[in-house]
Amino acid sequence: MAYELLNGLSSVEIEQVLELGTRLILPSGTSLFRLGDPADRLFLTERGRIRLTLPMQVRGREEDIFVEESSPGQTVGWSALIPPYRFTLTATVPLLDAEVIALPREALRAYFAANPAAGYKIALNLAVVIGHRLQLFQTMWLREMQRTVEVRSV
Amino acid sequence: MEMLLMGLCMSVFGLGIAVLAFGAATRSESSDSAVQPQLPLVKAVAPARFFSNRVPVPPTVPPVVRPQQVPIEVLLLQIENHVRLEQAAAESFIAFPTHAQLHSKTTSPFVN
Repeated sequence: MAYELLNGLSSVEIEQVLELGTRLILPSGTSLFRLGDPADRLFLTERGRIRLTLPMQVRGREEDIFVEESSPGQTVGWSALIPPYRFTLTATVPLLDAEVIALPREALRAYFAANPAAGYKIALNLAVVIGHRLQLFQTMWLREMQRTVEVRSV
Repeated sequence: MEMLLMGLCMSVFGLGIAVLAFGAATRSESSDSAVQPQLPLVKAVAPARFFSNRVPVPPTVPPVVRPQQVPIEVLLLQIENHVRLEQAAAESFIAFPTHAQLHSKTTSPFVN
């Protein structure tokens, strides 16, 4: 399994990082975390998919609206490494069971302090993940804004 | 007899004066009409008719189309489909950032 967060690390470093975590098997329908929860663990998706949602009012009801989906190898819950350490999305397991590796923030920080070279690579990989999310959503935001402007100028 | 002839002559004379007066009056009316100013032409208006050969066409009023409310499950699926399509379009833009890619159209029912 190639994890985007561990890209560029040696096999030994990857093993060391994975040993910090706990493997979790999540049945379909499980909530991994909810919006606003304290974020003290970061997750690497091992199997299945993790569905990320945000609440929205639809016909007077609050519904969890699909935002994005995490596939095997991808990272979920990087709010665990970014202040204020609160999840900004809700993560659930859709139709099929999933498996993730939960990496505690404190264990990761201790590892980074002891292995700065590996910590530097992981920090760069995290920047790529966050940067991609930023680019993706600023593009989606602009497309929606463009449509809003077009509707309002008719 | 003389009196009768006298009366007859007077009657004929009176009748002649009346004819002359009538002729003069008639002649002056026709000359007045010759100097009347020309009135502007007015388009003739067709008289109102109760019946017509043509069948009247009712004015075309666009029918009021009320958006059919889909079940909420379908709506949520449409929203998810829209988000997925928008993400795919955004991914295409990030891979090849051009103006055309940024504003490319999708098949989402929310924008069509």
